[in-house]
Order: sequence, then C-alpha cells, then structure tokens
Amino acid sequence: MSDRARVMLWRIAILVVLLGAWEWLTGIKAISRTPGLYWIDPFFISRPSTIARRFAYLCSDNVRLSLPQMALSTVQSTLWGFLVGVSTGFAAGLVLGRHARLARVLEPYIIAFNSLPRIALVPLVTMVFGFGLLAKVVLAWTIVFFIVFFNTFQGVRAVDVELVHSARFLGAGERQIMRTVIVPSALAWTFAALTPSISFALIGVVVGELLGGESGGGLGYLITQSLGTLNAADMMVALVSLGAIGIVMALGIKQIERRLLRWRPEYAERG
Amino acid sequence: MIGGLVSPSSGSVIIDGTVVAGVAPPRVGYVFQKDTVFPWRTVGRNIAVGLEYRGIPPSERMRRVREAIALAGLEGFEDAFPATLSGGMRQRVALMRTLVVDPEILLMDEPFGALDTHTKLTLHAELLALWERRRQTVVFVTHDLSEAITLADRVVVMTRRPGRLKLVHEVKLARPRDVIGLRESDEYAREYGRLWHVLGEELDVAHGHRA
Repeated sequence: MSDRARVMLWRIAILVVLLGAWEWLTGIKAISRTPGLYWIDPFFISRPSTIARRFAYLCSDNVRLSLPQMALSTVQSTLWGFLVGVSTGFAAGLVLGRHARLARVLEPYIIAFNSLPRIALVPLVTMVFGFGLLAKVVLAWTIVFFIVFFNTFQGVRAVDVELVHSARFLGAGERQIMRTVIVPSALAWTFAALTPSISFALIGVVVGELLGGESGGGLGYLITQSLGTLNAADMMVALVSLGAIGIVMALGIKQIERRLLRWRPEYAERG
Repeated sequence: MIGGLVSPSSGSVIIDGTVVAGVAPPRVGYVFQKDTVFPWRTVGRNIAVGLEYRGIPPSERMRRVREAIALAGLEGFEDAFPATLSGGMRQRVALMRTLVVDPEILLMDEPFGALDTHTKLTLHAELLALWERRRQTVVFVTHDLSEAITLADRVVVMTRRPGRLKLVHEVKLARPRDVIGLRESDEYAREYGRLWHVLGEELDVAHGHRA
C-alpha cells in the first residue's frame, strides 16, 4: 500500500471511530427507559444520526433559508474579506518594507490598531456598515490585513541585499527591482500568512454573522438561531459546515502556493 | 568602489573620463562572491534578466540567451530552477547573466571562492575562452594565488588591513593559456615563487603584530 493510501486509511479510521463513539455514548441511558437521563446527554452535543437528519432537512426546500444559501453567504463574505485583506496588506507591506522612515513613523499606530481585540470593533462596524455583506467583509479585512501586512513587511526587509545589488548591476531601475526581486522574494513570506488568513477571515465573518441576524444571513446566523431554540443538532450542522469550508479554502490556497512558489525546493516537481 | 557600491575615502574612480558616483554605472558587470542567481527564475530567464531590464525585444533576448547557454554548456537546463543545480552551475549562470549584457568592465569578487578545485579549473578555462572573444577589462579579486597567475595579466598584491597596494606585478605568460598545462611550466613556477615570497612577507608582518 502506498504511503498516501495508508495516511488516508488512518484518517477515515479516526473519523469512523469518533463518530461511532459519539453515536453510541449518547445512546446509553443512565436508568433504563427513563426518558431524558443519559450518561452523555444528546441534548447538549446531539448525535451524528440526528445531525445528518437535520443536515438533510436544512438542505431541503422546506426551510425559508436553506443551508447552501447560508453557506454561500458565509463563503462569499469570507472570500471578499480575504481578497481585500490580502491585496491591501500585501501592498502596504511592500510600500512600508521599502520605506523604512515611513514604517518607523507609522509603527505605533499599526501596533495599537493591531492590538485592538477585533471583536471590540464589531459594534462600531455594525453601526457604520449595518448588518449585511459589507460589515462582514470589513470585519474579515481588519484581521487579514494585519497578518498579511506583517508577513509581507518582514519578507521585504529580509530580501537579500546582494540580489538587489546584482539586479542594479544588470541595469534594473527601482520599479524593475521591485517586480523582479522584491515581490517574488517576499511572496514566500506572504504565502506563509495565507492559510491562517483564511481561518481568520472566517472568524471575522462568523463574528459579524453572530450579531448580524437574518439580514446578515450565513452560518453564524444559523448558530444564533439554534441557540435561541436550544437546538444542538443545527448548531453542529453549522460547525461541521464551517469546518468543511475551511478545509476546502485552505487546500485551494495550497494549490496556488504550489504553482507560484514552484521554484522552491520543497515544491520542486518530481520525475 | 569601481561598481559604485562604496565611495572612496579619498580620490575618485574614473572610467573612460567619467567619475563613478553612487549607483552602478551601466557599463560595469559584477559577479558576486555569493550566489546571486534569482532562485525564482529558471536558468534561461535568469540569463535573460539583464536584457529584460534593458528593454531588449524578446526575439533578440531569446537568441542571445540561447547563445550564452550553449557557451556555458548549460544545454538542457534552460527550464531548471537554480535550486536543482550545483554550485558550479549556478555560478556559471551568474557569469553568463553578467556577460550576456556585454559589459566593458567585468568585476569579479572571489566568484569561484566557494567551489571545489575541479569545478574551479573548468570555470577558469571557460572564463579564459570567453575573455578571448571580447577581451573586456576584468578586475578579479581572489585569495588563490594560482587562480591569479592563471587568469591575470597583472597581479596587484594588497597589504593586510588597511589594505594598501603592496605590489603591482605583470604576469608574463603567453596567451591563450591552457589551465592544466600552464601549471606544469617553469614560467608558472617562477611567477608563483616570486608572488609567494611577497605574500609571505605579509604573513611575517602578521606574526610580528601578534607577538
């Protein structure tokens, strides 16, 4: 068996064991036949079978706001927040990385803003941007921007001066140095920030949705709604969906990274 | 200093009547001691980069890069990334990348310092052959006496810190030179002995200071 298959097999085994234990343990009664007395109460953590049933129901047309619609809303806001955050963070990192004086002037402001707990910004963002897509994108942006900015900034500072010198000797102007030396060199650092950025964009969006109510939509809304009706199964449906979205997005980033950084030895094509 | 990276503490560097100030003058090529090949570009695109900077059209660029790759014996590695090459091959790419823009003055700062003797000798032969084609002015910094005698017309010996001129010595060996045969000749031995002695004096000074 190949190494890949072996790893896959173990992954599936872990999933099966966990789900099996969950289903089984939440089915054991403390006192037989007395309703409501369980060793582990499915009221709080639900059961895989119930979750699957709720999943199917929430995907059906019987609900006003279906699960795919909510997931789409969350994914959409996350991608926008991610894209805006990454592009602005990357640009700011490049500019400040190349202008040491400006970076020094702005440093206290950047640190101060970055140390603000983002959740403290939620009421303000809501006040300004309301409950919709825009508010969620702004929240994701406030987190992603700084992660990407700091990494790109470090990446630009870490560029080998001798590479810059040799580009200059080969006749490069400042813009050419930026394009052919600084950007490709800093990209490796920027990419290191992208996988966590996707998770953080998702955090920003879901926090916005928790507060946003129905007009914000999304999986965060499903969670608050489930809290209101004390429905653990629906909450689990939302959490599992968020996990799945996270995995898919992280894999997507990895693919782009593999393509753009294929010059690095760890991505060298084999064979 | 000739490249304009460092300013002279006194005096000035003049190339063809123009004083070198600050940035790298366009007609000077520089091969660094450290590997400065761009790791994110393939061999072909590394060699092309200087032509790209100068706005040479792609077709002309392709032609000159192909020529350079053939000259350096890098055929088949055009699309390889530097991470997959040996140190000698990478330095060859760096050399061709500099030569392909045709500089009038070539500065080489211990370019073969990190290579093993075999690779070094091969690159000496290649450098001599390339030089015979264009006969640029080459300023070559080295700590390797054999390398200096093999390549140079004129050897300038520097003192220990603060690095002043100690001796300017003309190497009277016929060209074109054969890097292997050369070392077996009596002339080579004589040049070597003379310069070795001068270097030895510098070492004696060093001992004197330490004692």
